[in-house]
Amino acid sequence: MTKRLPTDLENAEKWEVQLRKGSLELAVLASLWEGRLYGLEVLRRLENDSDLIVAEGTVYPLLSRLKGLGLIESEWVESDSGHPRKYYWLTSPGRQRALEMARIWRRFSASLSDLLAPLGKEKK
Amino acid sequence: MTISVDAQQKIDAYLKILRKRLRGLSDQDASDIVKEIHSHILDKAAVGKEDTPGSVSSALAALGSPEELASQYVTDDLLARAQVSGSPWLVLQSLFRWASLSIVGLAALMFSVFGYFVAGSFALCALLKPIHPQTAGLWLLPDPEDAYSFSLRLGFSSPPPHGRELLGWWIVPLGLVFAMGLVLFTFHLGLWSIRKFWHPLRGLTLTEAHDE
Repeated sequence: MTKRLPTDLENAEKWEVQLRKGSLELAVLASLWEGRLYGLEVLRRLENDSDLIVAEGTVYPLLSRLKGLGLIESEWVESDSGHPRKYYWLTSPGRQRALEMARIWRRFSASLSDLLAPLGKEKK
Repeated sequence: MTISVDAQQKIDAYLKILRKRLRGLSDQDASDIVKEIHSHILDKAAVGKEDTPGSVSSALAALGSPEELASQYVTDDLLARAQVSGSPWLVLQSLFRWASLSIVGLAALMFSVFGYFVAGSFALCALLKPIHPQTAGLWLLPDPEDAYSFSLRLGFSSPPPHGRELLGWWIVPLGLVFAMGLVLFTFHLGLWSIRKFWHPLRGLTLTEAHDE
């Protein structure tokens, strides 16, 4: 019996899923950095400003988790659309957490970029 | 925004299942979630040209099934509550949920189930001793390979031919104390593993950009 090994592409995709999962918390916190947003706006920001396409059914429980952790706070606001919207904003621990995560991310990404610089160049 | 009867029915049906599946959460939390999802559906559906049943359908489809959505909230809530509670039942329930999400959760569940099973067996044995005084108890049995093995017997079958009962009536107090100790230990081990290894942001389900 031969066992089919996952292709490089499949492995790369799995790795990407883990990366996305790992960065989702930072992405959501970062989306709220500039002010309060409701759930659908958070989703749009993630889609427009990053390549993070997140399942809609994931964002709401995630926001609820972040609230449970005390990183964000929420409030219902009446809107012109005729129905209220639940707005979220960063708490001060949330801002600290976002800053800290961003700092780690940048440092990590910068050091990795140096290492990655020669990749893909050897053929020319 | 006006909405067609058909679309309204679809939304109501979705929210009804969601609400039902959110049982276990406090009324206030559940209502809040349903209200938020309702608000999302209305916003999402209104993004299209007009709020046809089609746009409502696609808004609902994008959210995933109400069961799946509710399950994410319920799991979070359950594990969060179990972390601060002193209820073995709540911890065990949480472990069942957690087990479906991660290997660590599965291991914690298996240890717990095993612990409670052994504890239950000892308690049962102790309680059955007065009813089966000759056969219930902890037995030492000769093994074919010249070793011994222990057997906890509830006493429903005849006594093993060459076995020796070890504790006699002591199985009643010792069995009960051991069972209680083991229940406590298993409970605290489960609680500890949840506190130590469960993180609300792991075990997320993400749909990928390319599986449309």
